[in-house]
Amino acid sequence: MNDTHTSPPHHSHEIHTGTVHLPAPTAWPILLALGVMLLVGSLVMSLWIAALGAFLLVVSAVGWFREVLPHEKHVDVPVQHEIAEIEPSRAGVARIEVDETHRAQLPLETFPISAGIKGGIAGGIVMLIPAEIYGLLRYHSLWYVVNLLGGAGVAGWANPTPEQLTHFRLGAFITANIIQGATTLLVGVLYGALLPVWPRRPILLGGIVAPVLWTGLLHNVLGIVNPYLQQNIDWWSFAASQVVFGVVAGYVVSRTGNLRRLHQAPLAIRLGVESPGLAGHKTEEDDRQ
Amino acid sequence: MDAPSTPIPSGIEGALDVTPQTRPRATYLEVLHDWIVTVDHKKIGLLYIGFALIFMVVAGLEAMAIRIQLAVPHNSFLDARSYNRMFTMHGTTMVFLVGMPILFGFGNYLVPLMIGARDMAFPRLNAFSFWVSAFAGIFLYFSFIGGLGLAGAGTAPDIAWFAYAPLTERPFSPGHNVDYWALALLASGIGSIGTAINILATVFCMRCPGMTLSRIPLLAWIYATVSFLVLVAVSPLTAAQVMLLIDRYLGGHFFDTQAGGSAILWAHFFWIFGHPEVYVLVLPAFGFANEIIPVFSRKAIFGYPAMVAATVGIAFISLGVWAHHMFTIGMTSFGNTFFTLSTMLVSIPTGIKTFNWLATMWGGKLRFATPMLFSVGFLFQWVIAGLTGIMLSVSPWNWQLHNSYFVVAHFHYVLVGAILFMIFAAFYYWYPKMTGRMLSERLGKWHFWLMIVGFHLTFDVMHIPGLLGMPRQIYTYEPDRGWTLLNQIVTFGAVIQAVAMAIFVYNLVHSYFAGKAAGPDPWDAWTLEWSTPSPPPAYNFPVDPVVASRRPLWDLKHPEDPDSAFE
Amino acid sequence: MSTIPLQHESLAATWRLPSRGRIGMASLIVAESAIFTIFVVAYIYYMGRDVSGPKPHDVLEVPVFGTICLLSSSFFIWLAEHAIAHGNMRSFRIWWAITFLLGAIFLGTTAQEWHKLITVDHLTVSTNLFGTTYYSLVGLHATHVAVGLILLLTVLLFALAGKVQTRHSERVQVLALYWHFVDAVWVVVFTLVYLVSR
Repeated sequence: MNDTHTSPPHHSHEIHTGTVHLPAPTAWPILLALGVMLLVGSLVMSLWIAALGAFLLVVSAVGWFREVLPHEKHVDVPVQHEIAEIEPSRAGVARIEVDETHRAQLPLETFPISAGIKGGIAGGIVMLIPAEIYGLLRYHSLWYVVNLLGGAGVAGWANPTPEQLTHFRLGAFITANIIQGATTLLVGVLYGALLPVWPRRPILLGGIVAPVLWTGLLHNVLGIVNPYLQQNIDWWSFAASQVVFGVVAGYVVSRTGNLRRLHQAPLAIRLGVESPGLAGHKTEEDDRQ
Repeated sequence: MDAPSTPIPSGIEGALDVTPQTRPRATYLEVLHDWIVTVDHKKIGLLYIGFALIFMVVAGLEAMAIRIQLAVPHNSFLDARSYNRMFTMHGTTMVFLVGMPILFGFGNYLVPLMIGARDMAFPRLNAFSFWVSAFAGIFLYFSFIGGLGLAGAGTAPDIAWFAYAPLTERPFSPGHNVDYWALALLASGIGSIGTAINILATVFCMRCPGMTLSRIPLLAWIYATVSFLVLVAVSPLTAAQVMLLIDRYLGGHFFDTQAGGSAILWAHFFWIFGHPEVYVLVLPAFGFANEIIPVFSRKAIFGYPAMVAATVGIAFISLGVWAHHMFTIGMTSFGNTFFTLSTMLVSIPTGIKTFNWLATMWGGKLRFATPMLFSVGFLFQWVIAGLTGIMLSVSPWNWQLHNSYFVVAHFHYVLVGAILFMIFAAFYYWYPKMTGRMLSERLGKWHFWLMIVGFHLTFDVMHIPGLLGMPRQIYTYEPDRGWTLLNQIVTFGAVIQAVAMAIFVYNLVHSYFAGKAAGPDPWDAWTLEWSTPSPPPAYNFPVDPVVASRRPLWDLKHPEDPDSAFE
Repeated sequence: MSTIPLQHESLAATWRLPSRGRIGMASLIVAESAIFTIFVVAYIYYMGRDVSGPKPHDVLEVPVFGTICLLSSSFFIWLAEHAIAHGNMRSFRIWWAITFLLGAIFLGTTAQEWHKLITVDHLTVSTNLFGTTYYSLVGLHATHVAVGLILLLTVLLFALAGKVQTRHSERVQVLALYWHFVDAVWVVVFTLVYLVSR
């Protein structure tokens, strides 16, 4: 694979020759494949096939080994090229006229991933408080909420009674931890990516409006998906713990990374996606310098 | 993401490949020898594609046999056992011998070219992986005549493609048909894992200078993700096949319900493979769309980082949804809820992708050449397939419709309407690169329109018998059920699709000899494969390319306005 | 005309990529881990579900000696890696040979254990669920040890013939990565089979 070609000088229309190393063609892979297949297939055929397969396997494995050790076999292919100055194939490029900012910008600054992770962890821990308060007050049990979240991990819990839900179950505990950990981490990272996008008051939108929205969505979807589970969830304390999560996670994220708001940039740029083809002659790079 | 902004290059240079292309005349035997001993990623890619196309025709004929059998009630075109063999072999072939090989073929061909490499990371392993898959395919079809074949029917597997236990155990499936199925998939699994390792190593270790991970074409990103999925999804299938073989040959009890074994465990193991497999197949189709839609919209892809994140997100979520294939087997209400919600979650990253494709087309200068036509068809059908997928993810709805023709229609909408359409688009787009000839646009338009009419006749209508309660995998039905006319329409649509396929195959062969010469860059595209002659020489690039942006050929063609100034 | 972009010539000098051997081996390890996960899940799922004996605590003895051998071999192969990277071929050969021997001893203890289980306790793959899952999980690991031993032996023979040099250090490290993986899997298998289920 190594190219032994020498570095090209900067003259046009001069033909440079070089050689390219390519791996040498070899028949060992196909023989090895045939050996493997015969060996596997001999289970439905006969022992003779197995013997033939094993023989092919050993011979071609050795052959292959000698092909790559001590040196991989190569063929040298001579090549020629010349250096050319490129003329544009078309006169101009049409642009979509959009004011202010240029195209193809990545976000200038985002929160570091660690900020999102920290926010997710912090929010995930603090949101336990309202949920557990509810569980303790209403059912006098630490495990009620845990079981509701992690019930998928317990085999044979078709429709457990609230009484059953108040007792500790290892499966539910593990599952609940996995779900809680994964979800809060991911949402935390998402916060890290999205909070710079919100124009202003990130805590209000990210901390309160978004959790209320997804709680509402979940409330409605769960009615279709699993009405029984929906009845067992106290939606007010559920919403409260979501909002607590949102506020804490959002606060931790925006505290950890200190960055300028990008409210002057268009949405596509704030989202971290390019908007190629947007015209204008002022780039964010220019702004910064 | 935080690549330092490079200064605009003062004068953009390119290296012109002027190696004299003299081809010594070779006998047929020499040509054959060349192909057998080759380790060139392009030839292996073409071998994969050719192999898959042959099996696509075979499995298509099996589908036609199924449709003919179902066209009228009490039909006797196939008997019950042959019918079981037909749908088992159709499903197994389409997934393992058509879908995976054809996508690996394109990956093999395109990924090294797109990242500016001369070959795959492990060229010999690449050849081995292909030949193992190819022999596995031949072995599977050998079951029709091989072993202890019954007259006419042979011992082809008749256990459906998911091969639920305990039907696959010795007492219920004597003879060798299940063994053929398990052994063939075991061997093809070895090939798939080998290729996946190879693609991952290629994408990470073979990139040309300047080709950072944030600049590689999205197709390469997708193939890296798919390869990871293959590693973590096909391996469980391999493990499950080994368990099945231990049961059948050594008297083990993994799935032997009489000795305490569990049939449900097989279902879990199979679908832990089976669901990510859907994404193994559909993600490359997304990758083709990522390359084709921008070129025919004359705009760079919208939201490159979001597309990468969505790809990785889909792969991640797809590992946690398998049990939505098993709602009717019975789970706790918590389990139902978890798998319903996780399945619905897939719609977020796929939605991001869909909107990004639309945003790429938005305001672009669209050219409706055949690749673009198929891509637009794909977009439309993919959304519908996703919507029926969300319907099926809701467990109560699923209880009603599981194993009905609604499910069959849903997954064919994904496999045909999305994946096959994008594979066709990829053929029309990259055939010129692979052969040096353009595919006929006129035949291509016929192909597209016949395909779209046939597809919608078949698979739109197929939802209805499902809603009316027609179960899948039945070899015939009573005339008084009201399914007859619907089935006839479905069969009629299948015939139209068969005609479209015939036109496509004719186009492939005819254009190879009589097609218009393509030149290196017929579509005015931007990725590195178009900087080589068509077909590319064995060494791909006479010198290592050096790139400074996601669209290196754009920079080359438009030095007045290069992308590299904005990265 | 086909033209290849050649911008920023200076970039080529500083361009570094990860080693394909390492990435390839890491990918293989991911795939193998998935296979082992499935067998481990099956073992856990069928734990204590047997309708007939023998049960694990009746027949299994904790293979302390073999385990110590296998796990310590990871340390010796690390010493060997270190030696070859610094060109110290003599100590490389010694450490490598010790690694091979320890691995072989482990395989020997497994063979002995199986021999005892089959002849004394009459436990085979087809006896009951424990037999099926035990032999397939431990057997799968033993197969990996055997493959690793063949590779170790090949390198050892070449090293004794003086064919292995410092420039092969990279390949030796890739092989060592596989050996570390085999050891790590044993920690899981050992804990599950001999500690948890017993």
